[in-house]
Amino acid sequence: MIGLQYGLTALCFLAFGFYLMMVMRWSIAYPHQPLPEWMGWVFTDGWKARWLQDGKVTGQTYNMFGAMHGTIMVFLGIVPLGFGAFGNYVTPLQIGAPDMAFPRLNMASYWIYLLGGLIMCASFFFESGAAKSGWTNYSPLAGFADGQVVNQWLAGQTQWLIGLVCLITSSLLGSVNFITTIINLRVRGMTWMRMPFFVWAMLVTGFLLLLAFPPLEAAGIMQLMDRVVHSSFFMPSGLFTKSEGLADLSGGGSPLLFQHLFWFLGHPEVYVLLLPAFACVSEIIPANSRKPLWGYKSMVYSVLLLGFLSFVVWAHHMYMTGMGAAVSTFFQTTTVLISVPSVVIITAMLISLWGGSIRFTTPMMWACAFIPMFGIGGLTGLPLAFNLADLHLHDTYYVIGHFHYVVAPGILFGFFAGIHHWYPKITGRYMGKTLNHLHFWPSLICMNLIFFPMLVQGMAGFHRRWYNGGDAYLSKAADSVNIFGNTVVQHIDMNIIMSMGAWTMALFQIPFIINLFTSWKFGKKAEGDNPWNATTLEWATPTPPGHGNFLKEPVTYRGPYEYSRPDCDSDFLPQWTEPKHLGSSAKPPGGH
Amino acid sequence: MEIPYVVTPRKDTGLFNSKIAIWLFLASEVMLFGGFFSAYVFLRLGADYPWPERTLPVLPGLINTFVLIGSSVTVVFAWASLKLREWRKFQLFMGITVGCAMIFMVLKGVEYNVKLHHQALKLKDYSVVEGHLGVESEDGKPVLDHKGSTIEENLIFVEASKLTFDTVRFYKPWVEELSAQAEHHHSKVALAADVTAITKVGQPAEVIAKAGEPLSVELLNRIQAAHLAARSHNAANRTEALRAEWVTAKAANPGKKGWQIASGVNIDMAALAPTLLGEISTVSFSVDPPAKLDFRPRDIKAAEGQSRLRDDTVVDGKLLASPMVFHHIDAIDFQHLVMKAKEKGIDPEVAIENSWPMKNSAFVRDAWAWHQGEIKKLSAELLEAHGVGKNGKPRYVPTHKELYRIGWKDLAKMAEDHGRAKLSGVDAAKEEFFGPNYEARGDETFPGFSVPREQVGFASKFTPAWNTYYAIYFTITGLHGLHVIGGALVLAYYLFFGKKMYLSNPEWLANRVEIGGLFWHFVDLVWIFVFPILYLM
Amino acid sequence: MADTPEAIKKSVRTYMFVGAILFVGTIVTVLVATVPWLDFGHHGFDAMDCILGLTIATFKASLVAFIFMHLNHEKKAVYWLFASGLCMVCSLAGLTALALGDPIFDKFFYSGH
Repeated sequence: MIGLQYGLTALCFLAFGFYLMMVMRWSIAYPHQPLPEWMGWVFTDGWKARWLQDGKVTGQTYNMFGAMHGTIMVFLGIVPLGFGAFGNYVTPLQIGAPDMAFPRLNMASYWIYLLGGLIMCASFFFESGAAKSGWTNYSPLAGFADGQVVNQWLAGQTQWLIGLVCLITSSLLGSVNFITTIINLRVRGMTWMRMPFFVWAMLVTGFLLLLAFPPLEAAGIMQLMDRVVHSSFFMPSGLFTKSEGLADLSGGGSPLLFQHLFWFLGHPEVYVLLLPAFACVSEIIPANSRKPLWGYKSMVYSVLLLGFLSFVVWAHHMYMTGMGAAVSTFFQTTTVLISVPSVVIITAMLISLWGGSIRFTTPMMWACAFIPMFGIGGLTGLPLAFNLADLHLHDTYYVIGHFHYVVAPGILFGFFAGIHHWYPKITGRYMGKTLNHLHFWPSLICMNLIFFPMLVQGMAGFHRRWYNGGDAYLSKAADSVNIFGNTVVQHIDMNIIMSMGAWTMALFQIPFIINLFTSWKFGKKAEGDNPWNATTLEWATPTPPGHGNFLKEPVTYRGPYEYSRPDCDSDFLPQWTEPKHLGSSAKPPGGH
Repeated sequence: MEIPYVVTPRKDTGLFNSKIAIWLFLASEVMLFGGFFSAYVFLRLGADYPWPERTLPVLPGLINTFVLIGSSVTVVFAWASLKLREWRKFQLFMGITVGCAMIFMVLKGVEYNVKLHHQALKLKDYSVVEGHLGVESEDGKPVLDHKGSTIEENLIFVEASKLTFDTVRFYKPWVEELSAQAEHHHSKVALAADVTAITKVGQPAEVIAKAGEPLSVELLNRIQAAHLAARSHNAANRTEALRAEWVTAKAANPGKKGWQIASGVNIDMAALAPTLLGEISTVSFSVDPPAKLDFRPRDIKAAEGQSRLRDDTVVDGKLLASPMVFHHIDAIDFQHLVMKAKEKGIDPEVAIENSWPMKNSAFVRDAWAWHQGEIKKLSAELLEAHGVGKNGKPRYVPTHKELYRIGWKDLAKMAEDHGRAKLSGVDAAKEEFFGPNYEARGDETFPGFSVPREQVGFASKFTPAWNTYYAIYFTITGLHGLHVIGGALVLAYYLFFGKKMYLSNPEWLANRVEIGGLFWHFVDLVWIFVFPILYLM
Repeated sequence: MADTPEAIKKSVRTYMFVGAILFVGTIVTVLVATVPWLDFGHHGFDAMDCILGLTIATFKASLVAFIFMHLNHEKKAVYWLFASGLCMVCSLAGLTALALGDPIFDKFFYSGH
């Protein structure tokens, strides 16, 4: 199925993005030492000669890897994994649909995504190298990067834009497909308020993708114009660069415009990453605590509100651009507001654990780790929402720490939980417990080893784009001119701890990969089609679900989380089980 | 299970699948065009140059609007005919719709083409002239480029005596172009000296190419291969050496941090030298006799004696006078100059008097004097029609554009005032479409004009590069054009390949046409906004 | 939705009528923009012309949307879907323009008011 294709491709891209980060961490921790062979073997000698200086990572290479790490992780890894893979696999099953509404569109969307990803990554092999202006691709920097390349279509920076347009097209097709499926293909009895929270989250994610991506597509096209036909959408008048002198451009454009269009996508994008993880965890917690999801309705309303608010918070990424007090205040207010629905959701998850009979199955471990880890990520975001605090923290490692706490131990843990949870549906076997312990605990520890020191460094003022980890401040002694040097001396050795953490974590992903593939054939067999004794519709299908998913059209009789009902013999009452006394209140309302 | 609601609507939502999908898609299209329109508003409000308002010829835009609205009507007729099961009528109306789309694109193409051949030039003093770049002549004959066509480009000429290529970065099409140009000028481009390098460790240097070999991509490729091999080898060796140094340094300084000892860890290049190969990072060719080569300004960083191309090719030689020669100018525009003058607190009239075109061209002086007279007339008319306001000044005054821009219609009117014949009929209509008609109006109306290179500020055809207005104009209309093409293709598909589906399931086809039609109406709807915003405001 | 043949035949006349209005609307737009004595507001292009032009355009666009695109008798769900797009466009255009008009180096802060 296309969901699995999405999943495997996305995991490959994630691994690649992780690798780029490992190289960057070397440069940060040991800027003067050649890249060791265990990381460098990937490159050919020719590539090393072009991009490494005596084996050391150069600033340019670091920038390139940094930009591509961000891009790959966000656009090629997490979005396709969350929305493309989980959404594609689970959503139709949970609403009792035979497939997505437009299967061919779904296929097209996958191939366009793959094409976009390959275009972006292929540029590593160009003479210009891949994109190198950060994943945010701000103009005018991004407008000039690779400007020396005569044929602009073969410049990494241009390829990035083309790849981006492909990815946006792909996710646009995907989101149209998802929303249509959810609106029109719900099975009999599946009213809106009987949809699992997962489906709600996917619906909102779909809308975010649908409405937030096009402005970035517009920005991408405009930047492409800037690069290829030398327009000045984002180029101000009188632009002067060290290499070019006064730029031969008309000027008159606005770099700020790019930031507006980018962050109009950029902020909803964060929720596009996050909501699928919420979705997974909110399915796993009730199934493993044997309790209904606490506050289902408030979670639904929260996620809708979250979706709406995420469109009007974007300029909190732009406090430092010289916006005036009125606009800053507006965005500060909305930003603080948006934390309310997220906290409602996370609190509801937490309360769902209260008094449950918790089974620490493999997915449940990840789900339980998700809550506090995401909590740290969310709470560290609050200082950034405030104008005044952001003046100090802007562009420091604090931002990196915050964002990665949300994405890595937060969202990725949610996805690992999801993989473990639905693996028995996909293969009919469980994933191994021992290997999972070997994966889970080191990952949890390493994540904190990597990201917690970032918060500390960031508050000390470490800038996020130092390719040598602040080493430049140590080249001469701290004195009255180089006062910052003292602060750097105090915190620079954390770089080594973080890098060690990152490499160790890479090592402990190997158990997961082994687990993922060996369990397919050798894992413990799942008992029946509903091994977790869960209540939602995907567990009513045969394992694995064949063409058309269901053997006969299911009917939904009740809400999604009917666990431990006092009037029931077993501790779960699936949505599709016919009520014992037909004709009472449990009749499926709503028609075809 | 089959996928339901493909043709029939679902009862509780009342919609079939593709109806939902198309409206979702249109919502995202609203966001896409909304992004561009936001950009338009942002750029216009924030523009630091006089925004060219009402600058496009209205007629082509107007006709295109009619065409598109007409096609919107016919597509809805086509759908209605299908609902009534009248296949012939459907074919007719759909045919007209697709035809309209084609007319629209042709008109668009004409409009673009005019702009892509129309030159604008902003001088260093911010006065602007527009017109048609022309033909430089020597001894009364037009100068031809190496392909045998007249030069109608903004070019920089260098009398090149030596070309030095970067062996990694050289751009193949340029290499071919440069040798063709030199050949056109009967010059030979040949390797200046033997290219030698050590290609095997411990061996003496080897000759890779002999002096006198003519310039070719193949030759450069050969040198490049040797260079890259050496570069890889050397880099690997240096890396190994540095690694060894670090092992030694760490052993010698136990307990010290990397950054504390880094400054002392260096490669001993002298010891390493015998193991290295010869890198050939550049290679020089002599041009004999020195030839006049032309370059587009964007590709060259011109400097007296030594210029550099974008692919790091170094061109040695004298920089020749490279004036921008307008065959015809059709507009003189002081709007930007006045804006800059006002910012600096200079009297606009003084700034204009001191501008380069006024000082150096009798025609510009004449035109300006005539224009002043016209402005006086206009001011008097406005005063007469609207009177004075409370502050004792005229209520309505000429606009900034009217005051400081002499457009091609003004120049034509000036010529007519001076006794030149008026254009009429087809010629006049053609001008509304294609812009000034140089042939019919002649050199007196639109004379030649030459600007020396040192006065050239920024030059461009009327492409997206000229200013942000043209950038957004081309982007929005171009994207809209792509939508027209896409929509027309889908509708044409229903027209030509819909018969089979019509016979088997006409309702399904009607649904599809409705969906295609919805998209088509949306394209029309976007144009309804594009037309006033880009053409009339 | 006009689904019966009679209803469709009837609506065809509406379509013709609406088409005619659109043509007239286009001509009016051009006239108010180009003919001096139809120029509202100040001489030359100004806010008045902008508002007028956009009003006519919006009127024409709503005709297309409601009549040609059948929004006048479409299901509620469609309104929600499409309105979500319109709403977000407003937030994008409005807030970016607002941010442009509110720079921290605004004269208001510096001219000593």
